[in-house]
Amino acid sequence: MSETSVAAPADLAELRAMLSAVAGPINFIGGGTDMLIAGRPMPAVGLLIDLSRIAGMAFICADDGGIRVGGATTVAAIAAHRGIATRLPALAEAAAQCGSVQIRNRATIGGNIANAAPAADLVPVLVAAKARLGCIGRDGASRELAICDYAPDRGFLIAEVILPRDGLLPRSAFVKLGPRLDLSISRLNIALLAEFQDGRFGDVRIAAGALGPRPLRLRIAEAALAGRKLEHATLRDFLAALAADVDAAIPGRNSQAYKRRAISGLGLDLIAQAVGLSPRDQLFEDVVQ
Amino acid sequence: MKVSLEINGQAVETEVSAALRLSRFLRDVLGLTGVKEGCCEGECGACTVLLDGKPINSCLMLTFQAAGREVTTVEGLDGSSGLQDAFLQLGAVQCGYCTPGMLVAAEGLLLDKSSPSEAEIRHALAGNICRCTGFETIVQAVAAHAATREGACR
Ligand SMILES: Cc1cc2nc3c(=O)[nH]c(=O)nc-3n(C[C@H](O)[C@H](O)[C@H](O)COP(=O)(O)OP(=O)(O)OC[C@H]3O[C@@H](n4cnc5c(N)ncnc54)[C@H](O)[C@@H]3O)c2cc1C
Ligand code: FES
Ligand code: FES
Repeated sequence: MSETSVAAPADLAELRAMLSAVAGPINFIGGGTDMLIAGRPMPAVGLLIDLSRIAGMAFICADDGGIRVGGATTVAAIAAHRGIATRLPALAEAAAQCGSVQIRNRATIGGNIANAAPAADLVPVLVAAKARLGCIGRDGASRELAICDYAPDRGFLIAEVILPRDGLLPRSAFVKLGPRLDLSISRLNIALLAEFQDGRFGDVRIAAGALGPRPLRLRIAEAALAGRKLEHATLRDFLAALAADVDAAIPGRNSQAYKRRAISGLGLDLIAQAVGLSPRDQLFEDVVQ
Repeated sequence: MKVSLEINGQAVETEVSAALRLSRFLRDVLGLTGVKEGCCEGECGACTVLLDGKPINSCLMLTFQAAGREVTTVEGLDGSSGLQDAFLQLGAVQCGYCTPGMLVAAEGLLLDKSSPSEAEIRHALAGNICRCTGFETIVQAVAAHAATREGACR
């Protein structure tokens, strides 16, 4: 018999044992908001494991040095968490802008990463924060890897997302551009983490989605901001650098001309959010003149 | 596989296939046809139900995932609360296809926030599409009902 069977392990220990004991294909389902979209093939054989009710997979711990988020934590829980809103506001913002209330109540952070969509909204924030993933393999053993080294086809379970303390910076922001205001898949999204004191940027990390198969760091734009004062000249260099990053990421793509322009407006909104200014502030108006 | 869950306040125990979506189970097996399927992609919200009091798209959940949990469909809402009446009085229903999903999403919002602002109402209903009314009367109905419900609680 080769029909799918299902399992709902009660906790991580049971899940871990199942991973190593079961022969044959195993698939995971979190919130199902990517997997169950009509028209996508459902796994036809093997074991389908429900992650959405496992004790110990949905938690947020933001009170020690870094932040840890369970792999089956919902996007709604992330959007509503006070600790995340203070320590990494960009992640709360990205979560709040995912889909609709209905989607956020089911969608999980692990699913957002494992689905590996180029436009996944949480991933640029995680990349900019140098997130690490606590994974469990088919052998039942734990391993930790950098988010950039995660490949969905290896079948690893994402048990938790780890945001180490030294990856977090005091300021952060997330902006996205979609076809409409609510419930839209990003055409472009950008996350920024930065040090910013006395009007000057220190260390800066920026990552963007929908500019390639997976979210990537915008190194030219990072260099244009790092160590510089927030003023007209810096912002002009920053906008030119963003366009250069787009040119490097998607040379010759149909969307290149649109995205290299669109990223300017998005880039200024990103800075405004990070430093706590209105996007209508004269500083930004002057730069786009 | 066998699952037990609670639907509209009643315990249900049943055998379901692994791939059965919750929306199809509610409609086809239990006959709760207030649950609509407009897209099966999470876009339209016509299939909205409450899972432990929170709105979700029942088209994007497998039935076995709901084991041990509480599901509320439009049939399980308190018809005398006045929410449905507000929809009727303010003309928030035309063809009616979106209405059950709208009512459930609105109920989910009001369980979470008893006096939402207009912006909060619009945000909470952003996952529900109505092709007839233009949304204005729906937002008004939820706001009007929230005001009376708040009044009644004090
Ligand atoms: C209408 C709609 C709007 C949406 N809007 C947005 C949006 O604005 N931004 C955005 O980023 N996304 C959006 N999405 C996509 C989706 O909601 C997210 O990607 C979500 O985070 C997926 O999580 P899930 O738990 O539902 O994944 P599932 O559908 O359960 O799983 C997706 C994939 O990930 C695997 N998986 C799940 N959890 C794990 C885990 N812990 N470890 C390993 N593998 C795992 C599954 O096996 C599957 O292959 C939208 C989807 C819909 C239907
Ligand atoms: S049928 Fe579920 S959202 Fe459209
Ligand atoms: S009344 Fe027809 S879809 Fe809303």
